Amino acid sequence: MSETTVSTNGWKPNPRAARRRSADHLATAFGMVMAGILVLVLASILWTLLSRGLAGLSAAAIMKPMGPPGSSSGLANAIVGSLIQTFLALLMATPLGLGCGIYLSEYGTSTNKFASCVRFVSDVLMSVPSILVGLFVYQVMVAPFGHFSALAGSVALAILAVPIIVRTTEDMLRLVPTSMREAGAALGATRWRVTLSLCLRSAKTGVLTGILLALARVSGETAPLLFTSLGNQNWSFSLNRPMASLPVTIYQYAGASYEDWVQLAWAGALLVTMGVLAINIAVRVSARRG
Amino acid sequence: MTPETLQGMTQDFMMTETDPQMVKSPEVALAVRNLNFYYGENHALHDISVDFPARRVTAMIGPSGCGKSTLLRVFNRMYDLYPGQRATGEVIFDGRNVLDRDLDLNILRARVGMVFQKPTPFPMSIYDNIAFGVRLHEKLNKADMDARVQDVLTRVALWNEVRDRLNAPASGLSGGQQQRLCIARSIATRPEVLLLDEPTSALDPISTARIEELLDELKEEFTIAIVTHNMQQAARCADQVAFFYMGRLIEVDSADRMFTNPKQQQTQDYITGRFG
Repeated sequence: MSETTVSTNGWKPNPRAARRRSADHLATAFGMVMAGILVLVLASILWTLLSRGLAGLSAAAIMKPMGPPGSSSGLANAIVGSLIQTFLALLMATPLGLGCGIYLSEYGTSTNKFASCVRFVSDVLMSVPSILVGLFVYQVMVAPFGHFSALAGSVALAILAVPIIVRTTEDMLRLVPTSMREAGAALGATRWRVTLSLCLRSAKTGVLTGILLALARVSGETAPLLFTSLGNQNWSFSLNRPMASLPVTIYQYAGASYEDWVQLAWAGALLVTMGVLAINIAVRVSARRG
Repeated sequence: MTPETLQGMTQDFMMTETDPQMVKSPEVALAVRNLNFYYGENHALHDISVDFPARRVTAMIGPSGCGKSTLLRVFNRMYDLYPGQRATGEVIFDGRNVLDRDLDLNILRARVGMVFQKPTPFPMSIYDNIAFGVRLHEKLNKADMDARVQDVLTRVALWNEVRDRLNAPASGLSGGQQQRLCIARSIATRPEVLLLDEPTSALDPISTARIEELLDELKEEFTIAIVTHNMQQAARCADQVAFFYMGRLIEVDSADRMFTNPKQQQTQDYITGRFG
């Protein structure tokens, strides 16, 4: 009898559903506005940097060393100084960070007290203010010798880079499935051989990414260099003497009352930013390849 | 153990392999006696005693968690990777107790190979996947290594599929090809025993059939222990079948008798699909 009765009640508007729908729209809108603000902040920083920096960026700015105001000087010695100090820092930090990360992932099981301790110390080190690292290196490497040095600057940068490399190395190695380690061991490979030839090899993109991230992080650091490599108006390639660097030069020039120095500070800031951007792009490309 | 002695051992073994007449083939490849296994406090295997005849396929069957994979992982001391896991009793292989603490694990694992449930290609080329294990134990020149790679790939029926791309990454192979590569990798170190832990459970029926055919050929040379959930597979491939339940060996017999006329009621129930 009632088999042909069609109930349409199921389709009548439900006030609860309408409320849920508008809440959904509201949440989406909120998220979009916040994301927009973030992009706007970054875009306006980049815009300011580009418009001011490009004006000061000339062949002379890159080719000529620093000099007195009004002498059409450049940033060449600061650029080279930055490169030397960051790469030296990376040279010191990479073996230490890799070794530590490998130890934590492959040998430092959760029950290992020493490993938990190392992991904790490394994580704390990651959030230590960079000026503190500068002061520390000043105390051990500058004050006792009575002079600032590029080497001290590199050491300070290395201390900042190590925990980043440790963390990413450990995380990336942990992503390697246990089955890979078992398969290696099942062939009669020693633990070290398995770690080196199998685990590190399958995690190499991630590990490399960590090293590049550390490089990007330290290449813009100013505070650790203020008390260590100090800065230098002239060319210097000696690791035992003060050396110029882009961040410190920006710090010195940006507040100066000479128009051309301020101009150079903007150009330097643009160079650092472009460098970091290039490293980040390299990270993405290498991550995609892997 | 110096590389020279290792080299000597390998050569000894190569002689046995190429000329079976020279050494009397042992009746039993692996003799398990009163084996108990513990995952920490958990007593996983109880008083297991069973023989694995040489150059035969022994299938280990039983419901999940019955201890069959655990037993397999005792034979190459895989459990040594994990602190807290331990075994007592004896597993006699070539006159020595595999459980001896001072046994050289790298040599044991060269002589007792293992293939896992999921294919585990190494992050390197197809060629290097094979060469990796060989290089751990032998120093071969390029020509010998090439020959070894071709030989094992031919035996697992993969040579024709990969001969043109030996330098391509192994991860590009299909699941079935990867598993055959893993078997090739295991036999490339010329082991005497091959352990297979559900080697086909992640594969499609065609790949499974190929690997089962392969087992039939490999048993002429290797003693094979295979863990499987697949009763038909055990019936098709195995000479001897061992049924495990709750960490105990319930019954072990020839495959024929096991599947037609088991002695134990539990075995009967399991193979007829009444539980497990």
